[in-house]
Amino acid sequence: MSILYAILDFPAVKWLFLVLVLVMPLASLLTWAERRQSAMMQDRLGPNRANIGPIKLKGILHFVADALKMIFKEDFIPANVHKGLFALAPVLALAPVLIAFAVIPFGPTIYPHALTQSLDPTLLVTDPGYVDPSTGVALFGDAIRMQIFSSDFGLIFYFAVLTLANYGGTIAGWASYNKWALLGGLRSSSQMMSYEVAMGLALMGAFLVTGTLEPGAIVTGGAMSTMSAAHPLNWLWLWQPVGFVLFLTASIAETKRAPFDIPEGEPEIIGYFVEYSGIRWGMFFLAEFIEIVFVSAVMVTVFFGGWQVPFLDADGFRIGGIVDPITHVSTAGWFHEMDHWFVALLQFSAFVVKTVLLCMFQLLIRWTLPRFRGDQLMNLGWKLLLPLALANIMVTALVKLIYFMVTRS
Amino acid sequence: MSAHDHGHGDDHGHGGAHDGPAAGPVVLSVSDRHPRVRTIQVVRPGFQDTTFLAATAKGLGITLKHFARNLFLPMRKADARSKAGAPTDVSFRNEIETVQYPEEKVTYPERFRGLHRLMLRDDGNVRCVACMCCPTVCPAHCITIIPEESDNPGVEKRPAVFEIDELRCVVCGLCVEACPCDAIRMDTGDHAKPVEDRANAIETKESMMGRGIRSIAKQGGEGPNWRAHGHESSKNDVNR
Repeated sequence: MSILYAILDFPAVKWLFLVLVLVMPLASLLTWAERRQSAMMQDRLGPNRANIGPIKLKGILHFVADALKMIFKEDFIPANVHKGLFALAPVLALAPVLIAFAVIPFGPTIYPHALTQSLDPTLLVTDPGYVDPSTGVALFGDAIRMQIFSSDFGLIFYFAVLTLANYGGTIAGWASYNKWALLGGLRSSSQMMSYEVAMGLALMGAFLVTGTLEPGAIVTGGAMSTMSAAHPLNWLWLWQPVGFVLFLTASIAETKRAPFDIPEGEPEIIGYFVEYSGIRWGMFFLAEFIEIVFVSAVMVTVFFGGWQVPFLDADGFRIGGIVDPITHVSTAGWFHEMDHWFVALLQFSAFVVKTVLLCMFQLLIRWTLPRFRGDQLMNLGWKLLLPLALANIMVTALVKLIYFMVTRS
Repeated sequence: MSAHDHGHGDDHGHGGAHDGPAAGPVVLSVSDRHPRVRTIQVVRPGFQDTTFLAATAKGLGITLKHFARNLFLPMRKADARSKAGAPTDVSFRNEIETVQYPEEKVTYPERFRGLHRLMLRDDGNVRCVACMCCPTVCPAHCITIIPEESDNPGVEKRPAVFEIDELRCVVCGLCVEACPCDAIRMDTGDHAKPVEDRANAIETKESMMGRGIRSIAKQGGEGPNWRAHGHESSKNDVNR
């Protein structure tokens, strides 16, 4: 059995699970949800007719039809394109987004031997190697961590990798041998420069509050050590509201969608993928939607408690508990005990639900706001977001310093 | 010529400025030598507009209201959706305008020109006498008639073949206007069906007679004029 658990804990297996079970279906469904939601916002019905026989499901199957169409469409490569880079660009756009998912914690650590009983968090902290005397197995052994790549530079790794995705757009624009595509690629680069600085600095406030850049530690730690990490007021949206708004703005620019869809700009230049067709275009399209899922997952992880369910500690629901300042385990208060497997299931579902809600919020923004002009985006990025992000860092650092001075004296 | 144009433009500009503040920018001063050179008051966007936050929140509220309403409330009846200007503030109904076509159909107006039909005589034969008026007047050349001798001694000719290519038809209704004996009408209230093969778009004599009913008009102008109460009869025909 422990071999099975070791396989389940293998990063590639976890990555396959995350991408195939969570990200790809969610991104594909978003293509349908976007058309459907935008239609509903504009007093239309949207796509609701794709069906397999009598199974209609309100048109959800449209994404299957779309995928089939794109796979079987002619893969047309125009004359004069740079064939190598033309083929490479969609991969460059899609791959970094899938890689960046490695740092996202999408669920709690699962202890397979303790699945059918309530987890004892105090025991977990004080004696991780505890062996159950009746069965003779290490209770907390063979742990499956629901995060592919956990490192202290997690958020920086995400920035580094996701910035590479921009090469996809720029190279596609250059390789296409098309003036409109080139304009789109250049716009994509210039847009990236406008938001990337503010985006990174917006998360630095969160770093100052939690003291870590490891997304898993942000989720399990919360903003204050005197509160349970599952308490909604301990999540960073309350402690970094300015940082959240800045990051939200910058992340919409990151996904290249309205109001920051300048690289595409359908009515003017169509965008860097104007010469692409079939599944190559589909890869750009999918990358865009996976980016939506990804930035939603980052926002959920950093600002909305990740996989934490409100008031759900590792051993069950607890309201008004007291947190031990050293072990960070809450006790007392109103308490309802739950099995470990059920808690883990709830927490994984919470992550999915929060991500979906934030994705829908991004769709709402995309279909509400008109497109910015290029210079307006530059003004916004450099003259508004950047100073605000810097001010946010200064104020956060100042408050933190004063807090330290008060608590230590 | 050019001077005259300038003068005209000036007059217009001054008139606009004096009409009210909404007519244009506020003019602070006008140059003496070049009256078109003016100093105007520039309206800079305020703090709310430059941060975009208030406008964004307002816009999100509007779209979210529409989305929630259309998501949770039941739809209006198809008739209310199909009519432009139908009241949208029906309580507990959403604002979706889409008519789900094959399942829901809009009732066409009474004078709608639709699919052709051939009218019948009292004895069930086709009313057409193959006078060739309709293929002559047809601007799209979509009507094909091959005449033959009629069995009926009172009728000279009848169509052996009467075909209309609905793909070429421009639905102008001139054939109905041209017909001297009320043999062809376009009042079926239906339109040409989509087809998978072009040949299937050709309406034959039989298919058009299948939609036909007996005309109350007498040939040669005798009997009651159907046009006099054509409104009533045409309505009944559609319902049949």
